[in-house]
Amino acid sequence: MAGLATTFGSGAMTNSINEITGAEVIFVIGSNTTEAHPQIARRILEAVDNGAKLIVADPRRTELSRSAHIHLQLRPGSDIALLNAMMRVILSEGLIDDAFIEMRTENFKELRKHLLSQDIDKLAAVSGIPVSQIKKAARLYAGAQKGVICYCLGITQHICGTANVESIANLAMLTGHVEQAYTGVNPLRGQNNVQGACDMGAIPGVFPGYQPVSDPVIREKFERAWGQALPSEPGLTITDMTHRGRKNGIRAMFIMGENPVMSDPDASKVEETLKGLEFLAVSDIFLTETASLAHVVFPAASFAEKCGSVTNSERRVQLMHQAIPPIGECRSDSEIITELAGRLGYTMAYENSAEIMEEIALLTPIYGGIFHDRLETSWGLQWPCPSRDHAGTPYLHKYSFARGKGRFVPAENITPDELPDDDYPFILMTGRVYHHYHTGAMTRASDILSREVPEAVLEINSDDAREKGLRHGDMVSLRSRRGEIEVRVKPVDTISRGMLYVSFHFHESPVNRLTNPALDPVAKCPEYKVCAVNLEKA
Amino acid sequence: MMETGTMRENMRNAVTDNVFMPIETVISEIIEENSTIRTYTLRFTDRAAAFSFLPGQFVMLSVPGHGEAPISISSSPTDTDEIQLSVRRAGRLTSALHSMKAGEFVAVRGPYGVPFPVDELKGRDLLFVAGGIGLAPLRSLINYCRAKNREYGKITLCYGSRSPSDIAFKNDLDAWKADGSVDVRLTVDVPEDGWYGKTGLVTTLLDDLSINNSNTSALLCGPPVMIDAVISKLKESGMDTEKIITTLERNMKCGVGLCGHCHMEGVLICKDGPVFNVKALENIMGATG
Amino acid sequence: MKKNILKKDHVRPFLRKLARDSRLIAPVRTSHRDLLYQEIESIDSAEIDLSEQPQESAKQFLFPQQEQLFTYQNTSKGFTFSPRKSGMPTVLFGLRSCDISAILYMDVIFLRSPRDHYYLEKRRDTIIIGIGCNEPWDNCFCNATRTGPFLEIGFDLQLTDLGDRFYVESGRAVGDEILEKWPQFFSPVTEEDEKLRYQLMLEARSGFKRHVHVETAFQKIADNSVSPSVWEHIAKRCDGCGGCAYICPTCTCFTIFDRPLSPHTGERLRTWDACTHDGFTRMAGGHNPVNPATDRLKRRFMHKLYYDYKQFKRPGCVGCGRCVGICFGGVDIAMFVDMVCAEKRDQRQSAAVIGDLLVEAGLITRKQLSEALEKRDRTGMPLGSVLMEMGIVTKEDIANCLADKVERL
Ligand SMILES: Cc1cc2nc3c(=O)[nH]c(=O)nc-3n(C[C@H](O)[C@H](O)[C@H](O)COP(=O)(O)OP(=O)(O)OC[C@H]3O[C@@H](n4cnc5c(N)ncnc54)[C@H](O)[C@@H]3O)c2cc1C
Ligand code: SF4
Ligand code: SF4
Ligand code: FES
Repeated sequence: MAGLATTFGSGAMTNSINEITGAEVIFVIGSNTTEAHPQIARRILEAVDNGAKLIVADPRRTELSRSAHIHLQLRPGSDIALLNAMMRVILSEGLIDDAFIEMRTENFKELRKHLLSQDIDKLAAVSGIPVSQIKKAARLYAGAQKGVICYCLGITQHICGTANVESIANLAMLTGHVEQAYTGVNPLRGQNNVQGACDMGAIPGVFPGYQPVSDPVIREKFERAWGQALPSEPGLTITDMTHRGRKNGIRAMFIMGENPVMSDPDASKVEETLKGLEFLAVSDIFLTETASLAHVVFPAASFAEKCGSVTNSERRVQLMHQAIPPIGECRSDSEIITELAGRLGYTMAYENSAEIMEEIALLTPIYGGIFHDRLETSWGLQWPCPSRDHAGTPYLHKYSFARGKGRFVPAENITPDELPDDDYPFILMTGRVYHHYHTGAMTRASDILSREVPEAVLEINSDDAREKGLRHGDMVSLRSRRGEIEVRVKPVDTISRGMLYVSFHFHESPVNRLTNPALDPVAKCPEYKVCAVNLEKA
Repeated sequence: MMETGTMRENMRNAVTDNVFMPIETVISEIIEENSTIRTYTLRFTDRAAAFSFLPGQFVMLSVPGHGEAPISISSSPTDTDEIQLSVRRAGRLTSALHSMKAGEFVAVRGPYGVPFPVDELKGRDLLFVAGGIGLAPLRSLINYCRAKNREYGKITLCYGSRSPSDIAFKNDLDAWKADGSVDVRLTVDVPEDGWYGKTGLVTTLLDDLSINNSNTSALLCGPPVMIDAVISKLKESGMDTEKIITTLERNMKCGVGLCGHCHMEGVLICKDGPVFNVKALENIMGATG
Repeated sequence: MKKNILKKDHVRPFLRKLARDSRLIAPVRTSHRDLLYQEIESIDSAEIDLSEQPQESAKQFLFPQQEQLFTYQNTSKGFTFSPRKSGMPTVLFGLRSCDISAILYMDVIFLRSPRDHYYLEKRRDTIIIGIGCNEPWDNCFCNATRTGPFLEIGFDLQLTDLGDRFYVESGRAVGDEILEKWPQFFSPVTEEDEKLRYQLMLEARSGFKRHVHVETAFQKIADNSVSPSVWEHIAKRCDGCGGCAYICPTCTCFTIFDRPLSPHTGERLRTWDACTHDGFTRMAGGHNPVNPATDRLKRRFMHKLYYDYKQFKRPGCVGCGRCVGICFGGVDIAMFVDMVCAEKRDQRQSAAVIGDLLVEAGLITRKQLSEALEKRDRTGMPLGSVLMEMGIVTKEDIANCLADKVERL
């Protein structure tokens, strides 16, 4: 998020999902697309069928990498080294897009200086990929007319997440792969409405539509609409609340549709914080690990029981209709909020979700032309959509970046906060599996899905397993500096030696007791993806 | 009175033509065979519901709330009208069963599957080769043949276990040895103190035997690797593949050929098996390479 | 068997009669413009639409996605099992030929011995009124599976759309009974009606946009000459989501599980299952005899195209085309058959070399190759010329490609 904002001025996918099919070269980095974003993966495969070349950078041999023309099996946390190396090749071989850089970007000199100071062999060594492969990938990507980059949490969930993203943006701008159809930089969102939640201001420092709370003009606009004085200071980030809650003076919390006891790093800390609160209310569709700690639980309606809009990765606002009436006593999130606000003395009277959408349009320029009646008859509208007669925006940054000129932000490779050592010799990566979603609160309630993947498995390189005397199905205890869990092992040959991979969906093996809460200094995203661990047979 | 009578009648009809309805049984005895295998004696609470079966057939065992699993009947039809199931603790349902006590209820439906060809085997010497829990279905046939001892030839059993303390069905082995009805030969993979018997795979036991190929049928049950090894050994020694009989294991949900889980190369193991002779199996597998 | 004419104006009144003491299922245009077979609550407000193939088949009405088998109660004195009664008189109206054929297929699976009680209960009381397809849709290939566009048997009544009226023929005694029971809606068939119907049937048969050579694929599989790379290619793309099996009207595999409702009561359910799921064949302890995905895909396609063919003399696919486009990885039966058949032609004339090289070099796609091969077979032109004529490659491309190959050798 933050990385694209500094470089392009906007943090969303620059292309539409369907445009991927028309790309010539697709560079996927830090995304296990087939398992996490099958709808995107399907477009990528279609593009490959149409003749596109696929480059996949991933420490594991993922399903998608089997279809790749080049698989860069980099060391976890060495993305910047790889990207810098690719850029260095592009620079020295004269494959940069001069006209684009001249017209549309700034700060190129800095990047150039930085790249020229880099030694490609060293970078290659850091990333663990042979120079020849890096060169091949760089030429392929730079040589394409239409090049698309897709990335996901494998890029952002690092201490250097922001710098990772900035480097991706640098690469794209260097080769002019931004401003057109079938060409761009695309962060893939993990949920059907993460984009929407961000758009609506569920980030500490902004109102809906990324309008900063620090801007008095904007603040006044919202104060007039809501009849309330609003704070000019950004709020707290998630980890500020869940890990340092009491230190930050938090006494009560209302958590909606999140399960931080399972999903946040160093999860025992989270549990401690929540248990220490004077009051905790949780609204969720299931009684999650977090909800069981609450004093009050609001049963929330599922997506099928309410009407409203969601905004997906490609900035597409889509209307979802109610399919069945709410079961039991549950209520939609908006009802819960408005009722609660009412009891607390602030009336929020909306006739229906269409009226809420009207308010969004009124106050949020990028949503200015999006109304339920327009969504009713279409597959949705892609923001920015400033007015009723605007057709929406399939790809961003046409003719100019959101921030004016695209800005190159050179980055130095930053090693992960925690590196393997003698006590904790393995690097642990975490991720998801196809059949489960997030903390499993929903998917594990499905009999078929939980049969498919009934428990967490720790993937370990077969040679490492042999050395440790571990066989398929053995239970091991997995330790990091922060905690210990038990999990079953599965020797595989899809990851390199010294690396481990485990999914985070299972409360029986709560991986986030192990992960490192070290934060990216800008985006405040924790370093979920890598931490140092050791294991032994349980 | 009259009314409940007809109601029961109706129920019975509903039950008999609905293959998914289990029949209630009570656990009358539990024998601890080793640390993971127990043999359960089940008595039908409604005697009229008791069924007849042949060795090699299996039932779908229910512990309501924990689901169903296919389990071979390990007792012989010649025993009583109770049935015995020998169950290894392997997962959810089998663990639930292992936590139950005599007097508690479970349910079964069946019997299902093609039994051992007891008629074809008449007059022949029988070589049983088993590993671990694989002795369960063979135990049924061994006891059946012992009960009709005049109809069958010499019975030999080669039985492999992981370690001496893992040897299951000790009561049976002792009884068979004691009355001389079965030539019992044992081996273990990992010996322990006080073990004077053989060590090694069950195939090593075969070396000590002199088998009259023309009048011997072999019956195998155990882990797939063991079965493969034994089959190639017997084939090498010149035994006709039609006379080598084994059972196959697949995930099963219905047991009656409806759910599709046990499909293998166009064959439904629950219905067309689980007992196959090796020649038939080779035909099935050979069809598509 | 009887033949009649039913004016379109009279369809609604006719359905009202049928629905009086049955549950009526028909294709309904929903408020979100989907077309789905649905139970009709009110004949007057439902928008019954016979103009297209519904997005889902009618499988769920005889074999629901999830179905209770019985409830159990557990006391100290034993169990009570209460089976569920699931049958009720049903009229399936407006079924496409493929969907009727799929029901005939399910009949074979569920009603051979032993019979599936729950299927039988529903099936016994079901009347099927089908409609022939005057114009096959984009992905249909029922001509190749011999399950459409019109049927000879399997329906109680079959409609043919003649414009302002339907030609109605009966296929079974039940159909005759319906025609006799409400004669007021029907009028005799004229010679002109017969001619028009015949004409429409002929046109329908030649109206297929896709040519899926199902029988060739069967032969290829039987000859054991599908190359491993084909299986690899599709396995690589399968996520094991089961979508293809759920949407397929002839996929009948299910699983059974218990769902406790309280500490002493619960229900036993069955749910659709899919052979592309890893857990479908996994056994206790984690061993899976049908692994990896290549084996699962092999099993799926071999079951439909080979084992069923061998056993029933027809494939287990009714050519409805619904699995086309459902898969995240672009895997579907038509694509599979195309791939298998493209291979065949390659081998026959060994022009494969060029085609494969061009595909490998990323200059053309598999799809384009099979199109080109088809065209080559039709016109007899060499493959290279066809590709050049289609404007996909240039002479240079081909030359470079071959040169590359020589270099590599
Ligand atoms: C014909 C046949 C006869 C058998 N006879 C015996 C026997 O006599 N004694 C014995 O101990 N075991 C026997 N088994 C194996 C036994 O069925 C499994 O160990 C048992 O299903 C495990 O169930 P679970 O719920 O404890 O394990 P889980 O791993 O929790 O099983 C989950 C589900 O998968 C299915 N499943 C898992 N493994 C198997 C398997 N190997 N075979 C079939 N379905 C499976 C079950 O239906 C179960 O509901 C037999 C299997 C077959 C096919
Ligand atoms: S729809 Fe595609 S991904 Fe899903 S199981 Fe079928 S082949 Fe596999
Ligand atoms: S395999 Fe595909 S085309 Fe064939 S019947 Fe099933 S869904 Fe229809
Ligand atoms: S177990 Fe259901 S078909 Fe064999």
